[in-house]
Amino acid sequence: MALDDIPLFAMLRGRLGYLSERQRLIAENVANADTPGYAPRDLKPFTLPTASTLVMASVAPALTSPRHLAGVAPRPRPAYKPQTMADSETTLDGNAVVLEEEMMKLTQARMDFDAAIGFYQKSLGLLRLAARKPGAS
Amino acid sequence: MAEITSASNAAMSVAASALRAQQARMRVIAENLANSDSTSRTAGGDPYRRQVPVFEPSAVDGGEGVRLSRVVSDNSDFRTEYAPGHPGADAKGYVKLPNVDPLIEALDMREAQRAYEANLNVIETARAMDSRTLDILRK
Repeated sequence: MALDDIPLFAMLRGRLGYLSERQRLIAENVANADTPGYAPRDLKPFTLPTASTLVMASVAPALTSPRHLAGVAPRPRPAYKPQTMADSETTLDGNAVVLEEEMMKLTQARMDFDAAIGFYQKSLGLLRLAARKPGAS
Repeated sequence: MAEITSASNAAMSVAASALRAQQARMRVIAENLANSDSTSRTAGGDPYRRQVPVFEPSAVDGGEGVRLSRVVSDNSDFRTEYAPGHPGADAKGYVKLPNVDPLIEALDMREAQRAYEANLNVIETARAMDSRTLDILRK
């Protein structure tokens, strides 16, 4: 059993993936802050994978013959689709990146990432606590 | 680069491409400022013409970075000054001076600096997020 089979960890992993993807997009926006005609891109707000996709993720094909290969169902990876989201101002050359807003988004992504990592660590601690020998402190 | 590029790796390459582009822009600004008084060597000829950097998106590994696509000349009018004794003066005694405005160059320079700092910020954040993830391995 992989750590990802626990829904909580699967969700946290999805969240971390979403945040690093968002951070990459912000990097692109900041890099193109002076490119004429460039419109910044961002991800839609994060939504948790629905219960059905989480259940689907743990389904593996049954092996009814010894000659079957142990196939593992491909984990449906939530695709975060970048979409154009203009910032509050567009300059005369058609560039819609506002550095201040991008910096805000970057800091936001970083704080969210730190929070998710903290959560992940706490959950790992919980598992560790459950696995510990009784009486050992 | 490595075949497996993580998102934060891609973010860093994108930011690095922008750092390069802003450096190149600073070079163009420096050329403009340095030549803000360069007149023609021949009588009545054209002086230094202001250069303008143009950026365009370009693919770096794992993301869309930026690069200095070309440097074009600013075709605005030259300033003129009456100086009959100047070797570059035309028949009427006027010397053409470059169309470089130090104020505009200073503003451009500040903008380049701000963009550079923003990209350094991106790299720093990507690094912090990576090291935060690696912290899980500890303890």
